[in-house]
Amino acid sequence: MTLTLGDRLKVHAMVYVASEPIPRFWPMRTFIHHNPLYGLEDKPFAEAVAEGSRLFHARGYLERAQYQRYRREGKIDDEHLRRRIAMFLASRTDVPAGVDLEAWLWHMATACEKSRAVEGGDWVDGAGVAAALKGEAVARPDEDLDPALRAILARHYSSESPVYRHVDALFGTTIGATLDDLVTKSCLDFFDEGQSAWQAPGREAGFFPAWKDLARRNVRFLLRGLHLRQVLAEEETAEGMIAYVLRRLGVPEEAWQGYITHELTRMHGWAGFIRYRMSAKHYYWAQRYPAGLVDFLAVRMVLGFALLQEGSRHHGTPASASEVASLLDREPRQAYLRHELYGGTVLPAWAHKVDDTLARTRPAQVARMAADYAAARAQWENRRTAASLRALAQGVGRSAEAALESLEPARLDDLLAVVRDWEDAEGFMWLQAMESHYMNELVAKIHRPATEARSDRRPFAQALFCIDVRSELMRRHLEALGDYQTFGIAGFFGIPLGYLEFGKGSEAHLCPAVQTPKNLVLEIPAGLDLEEEPLYDALQHVLHELKASVLSPFVAVEAVGLLFSLGLVGRTLAPLGYHRWRRRLHADKPVTRLLLDKLNPEQADSIIRAVQRAMIVRALARELRIPRDKVTDDDVRNLREVALGHEKGPSMLARRLGMTDAAERDFLEKLRGVYRIDRAVTSLQMGRLGRIGFSIEEQVRYVTQALLSIGLDRNFSRFVLLVAHMSQSENNPYESALDCGACGGGKGLPNARALATMANKSEVRRRLRERGIVIPEDTWFLPAIHNTTTDVIELHDLDLVPARHLLYLERLRSGLNAASRRSAAERMPQLGTGSRLAADPLAAAALAQRQAHDWSQVRPEWGLSRNVYAIVGRRSLTEGVNLEGRSFLQSYDYRLDPRGRLLENILTGPLVVGEWINLEHYFSVVDTESYGSGSKVYHNVAGRFAVMTGNQSDLRTGLPTQTVLKDGRPYHEPVRLIALVEAPLEFAQRTVGRIAKVQALVAGGWVRLLVLDPEDDYRVHVLEDGAFTVRPRSARSVQAPPSNQPLEASS
Amino acid sequence: MGIALVVLATLFVPLFPGSWVFNRLVAGLPAGLAQGLAVLVLPQLGLEVLHLTPQAPLELAAWRPWGMGWAAVSALLYAVRALSARDVGIWSRLMLSSGLGLVWFVWWTGAPTEVLRIFALSWSVPAAVALFLAGALVDRMGGACVGLQGGLVEVMPRATTGLVLAGLALTATPMFPAFFSLWRGLVAVAPAWAMMWLPLIFLWGWAAGRLFQDLLFGDYRGESVTDVGVATIAAIGLLLAGSLALGLGASGGLS
Repeated sequence: MTLTLGDRLKVHAMVYVASEPIPRFWPMRTFIHHNPLYGLEDKPFAEAVAEGSRLFHARGYLERAQYQRYRREGKIDDEHLRRRIAMFLASRTDVPAGVDLEAWLWHMATACEKSRAVEGGDWVDGAGVAAALKGEAVARPDEDLDPALRAILARHYSSESPVYRHVDALFGTTIGATLDDLVTKSCLDFFDEGQSAWQAPGREAGFFPAWKDLARRNVRFLLRGLHLRQVLAEEETAEGMIAYVLRRLGVPEEAWQGYITHELTRMHGWAGFIRYRMSAKHYYWAQRYPAGLVDFLAVRMVLGFALLQEGSRHHGTPASASEVASLLDREPRQAYLRHELYGGTVLPAWAHKVDDTLARTRPAQVARMAADYAAARAQWENRRTAASLRALAQGVGRSAEAALESLEPARLDDLLAVVRDWEDAEGFMWLQAMESHYMNELVAKIHRPATEARSDRRPFAQALFCIDVRSELMRRHLEALGDYQTFGIAGFFGIPLGYLEFGKGSEAHLCPAVQTPKNLVLEIPAGLDLEEEPLYDALQHVLHELKASVLSPFVAVEAVGLLFSLGLVGRTLAPLGYHRWRRRLHADKPVTRLLLDKLNPEQADSIIRAVQRAMIVRALARELRIPRDKVTDDDVRNLREVALGHEKGPSMLARRLGMTDAAERDFLEKLRGVYRIDRAVTSLQMGRLGRIGFSIEEQVRYVTQALLSIGLDRNFSRFVLLVAHMSQSENNPYESALDCGACGGGKGLPNARALATMANKSEVRRRLRERGIVIPEDTWFLPAIHNTTTDVIELHDLDLVPARHLLYLERLRSGLNAASRRSAAERMPQLGTGSRLAADPLAAAALAQRQAHDWSQVRPEWGLSRNVYAIVGRRSLTEGVNLEGRSFLQSYDYRLDPRGRLLENILTGPLVVGEWINLEHYFSVVDTESYGSGSKVYHNVAGRFAVMTGNQSDLRTGLPTQTVLKDGRPYHEPVRLIALVEAPLEFAQRTVGRIAKVQALVAGGWVRLLVLDPEDDYRVHVLEDGAFTVRPRSARSVQAPPSNQPLEASS
Repeated sequence: MGIALVVLATLFVPLFPGSWVFNRLVAGLPAGLAQGLAVLVLPQLGLEVLHLTPQAPLELAAWRPWGMGWAAVSALLYAVRALSARDVGIWSRLMLSSGLGLVWFVWWTGAPTEVLRIFALSWSVPAAVALFLAGALVDRMGGACVGLQGGLVEVMPRATTGLVLAGLALTATPMFPAFFSLWRGLVAVAPAWAMMWLPLIFLWGWAAGRLFQDLLFGDYRGESVTDVGVATIAAIGLLLAGSLALGLGASGGLS
């Protein structure tokens, strides 16, 4: 079968459409918090959640019992919930008369702990329930049993569902699980990023071609009885294979789209990772070993088809959609019994009888059993429903039970429909009621600024922290300690940069995942002997190689195995001491500078020349054994020119040393091929060097934007700290999830260093002055990093600090250290380490240090758990308020932003990052298995880019339970991000309206938007049901923010 | 007469095909206590019948290899069948039938009736416990097919503990009486016969693993149920502990 171009495009388009709802999965080295329903963000939240539940078989809201627990704790706005019930009922036309449904729904929501108060069923109807309520027998569905069964089966067996799923459900086979295992193994072989000692061959050709080549000779497949050769011979391309298998399976063409969607979403972790690779043009492994979702799907389809064939051969199970359809149509009774038995829904008392009957395969007996079973099932379902309704009515009280019993069957049908629809919608109602509570709480907490005039008092130091919720604690404590002013800014400080760290081979993108940095910054050591490798590092390298090799462990265990026990014992018994000891063995990282300024063409050319000359010197030594002292600079220059084709050979060196033409030609080939001294490569490198650094205009723009966006355009203090943040933990694949989300899951220090370098530059300051931003001569921008696991703030680039500032460093350090200890004292008890630490900051700080180095610690810190608010506005709104580390704080002064451009930047960058973080946590709590990644305890690293549960599973996306649950209950309270923007309402609306993406998020309810209008007497307007409504009067009387609080008062 | 009595005994101390009657008889009783008592009493009745013909193993000496082989086949057959059983009641009966097949094996070696009684009780007591608990499941859920609901331990931790202990005892796990009985039988026969025990133990372990998987893992999907009472599980614990002590005593103690 040869596919036309149109067919290929059709398959491609179908895969593309099917993959849209699947969230991209970033490698865990740079864990990106993201909305698992990102692909559905064009829909309103509730609709998207329903669609996500269908696609990923996941829950979208918490269990009812948990919301009830929140209600008992006072975290639900009852009034809001009642209003939602009334609105729900008002939208219905089928409310049965005589039943106080408002009371019913209220009782059901608040008093019934079961997740479904009234379970449905295939046989439940008003007549049956009415009979059961009267204690009468429910009519047997004997008449027209076959059509009824066909209708039931049609609801369960859609032609869009994979055939193996139907076969598993009807025959109790495990083809789906086996297929998942085989696909996982194939993916692990191909996508490995260096974890395996032996790599799969032929990966450069792409996923499907490489897999196909291996599969033909794969003994594992042969042993399973999978005949892949014949299938693989039918089609060459991945698209062709998909089309071929779909046709052989007899899937109608109109169902292909749905079928492909089911197949891709079944393992959405792997599919999401492949999606990420497809879109990440810079990703090294994707460039080297390309793979697409079409390849993935083709592998899955071929394996699934072969497994079905194998099942058909050995067990006589259907091997195609048409055979399944035929069974459902011809033998609905047998199919129904199978569906009940193997689907796990059979009545327990009937399980053995049904199993026995099916095993005997006598049609008459099967038909009789199906009729009897259906009758029993109908009886059971209707009685159960009647009992549930009666229990509800009794709970409602008064005359509800009598009213229920008096309902006609048709009205009972209406009642059941209303109850069923309410139960489907109830989670969303609870969510809104919970959000309403948090909105009220926020409105009560914020206060109007003490004065509208901007203060001229010069603080001792100003500190720009990331908007991250963990910064809130540190900022609060720092401000309480003394003369510090703090600001919130996205942790990449508004500078999207590609960063090549010294000693690293690949570029990291330090900016929100939605952006792609144009500029590259290099970290260059200020002084280092590159040839020298410290002894311990070299030893460690050797040990690593020994471990990774296939054969060496056989001998190495006896020889050096004992060495590893030192680490084992040290890390387990004295993690902190062991860490300190090891740190002493490692060489210190050298002092470095950032290559930040844009290179002009001459400088770029000079750098390339210098590198190429160094390479030629190395090549001469390695290839021709000619030491440096026998070669002059002119020789090297001349060799370079000859290699690049700028000059003709023979080279000066060849002539001088009497090299033959062949030897020189061979050497030049090596220079071009191996050492990349080639004209085309040089041209490429020139292009890449063009990315390095920022022009002076760009630097001025970034500094201006960073300062104005947080409202800092005057009154600069002596120190302006640019505090990036990072986390520190051992044995934790999720470590980067605790790093800076605004830096793409990286550590934001390079961005802080870059901004500090720019802002300290005299030329930049001169141009800023021209724009009205006057930075005093004695102001020094100092980069720092806040370790959120230990609460320590470490200052960087101190060697650049002017001498006159050094006098003040001690005061700065002691202030920061005190704030660190106070933060630890507030934070550590929340980790369940005992409340006494709240009063002992030193002990709390010591324990925080231990947590960071304890390799058995599954929860080194709570990270961003419990985040709920994003406040975009002046710090004076929340200064002195304990926001419990639950708020993203973005400083913003609308008075400096007449055109709304700065607000646009905040809404498109930090707010979207906040929304992703918030929804990642939300969904990881509401469904810890499908959206979250389950327990960390069972995780294993897969291919160095993700984790799996056990030794083989789909890639686990989302957050682990240890991040969001405490003692089995949600620690993170899942509500959507409540974003409060301080700006005039009309101005805020206009700004949001200009950004389509943000407007979709706000209007779709992915973010709950509140506008605090300073020009409307600080009233809060909330967007609800498509319109802004004024929240009850929010601004409290003017109050001065507290300062210099003692520890007890703030914690 | 001797052969007739032996054949009669196969109906009570299950040996294929007489075991079919034994299983039908037990299955015909109400689930729970009745079945539990039946599996305690019936094998002892069978042994009483055998006791009437103490010379039978000697008289039928020429048949001994065939008889031992048949006992082994019967035990293996029921162990294989137990692999596919998902209903606790059926599983317990099949495991009991498999274990009691070995009574015949030992009978052919000429073991005294007292030894045979203890041998039979080694399997009967845990089977009685399992069947009693299966009855508790039937009362609460309508059936004892634990694989349907999964994760029974979530909602019935006490009953699950009892079932797991009974399951371990039925599969001759060390320290339980069946283990010592098995060991005793093993040393009483020629080494060639001992090879037969290996697949048997393997099959028992596998069958127990499947049952435990249904009991202990996965999320519970059934209706809400109440667990068996503390007194009940305490009595079961005492019974199993007593049988453990009996086993240890019969094997010569811990020394």
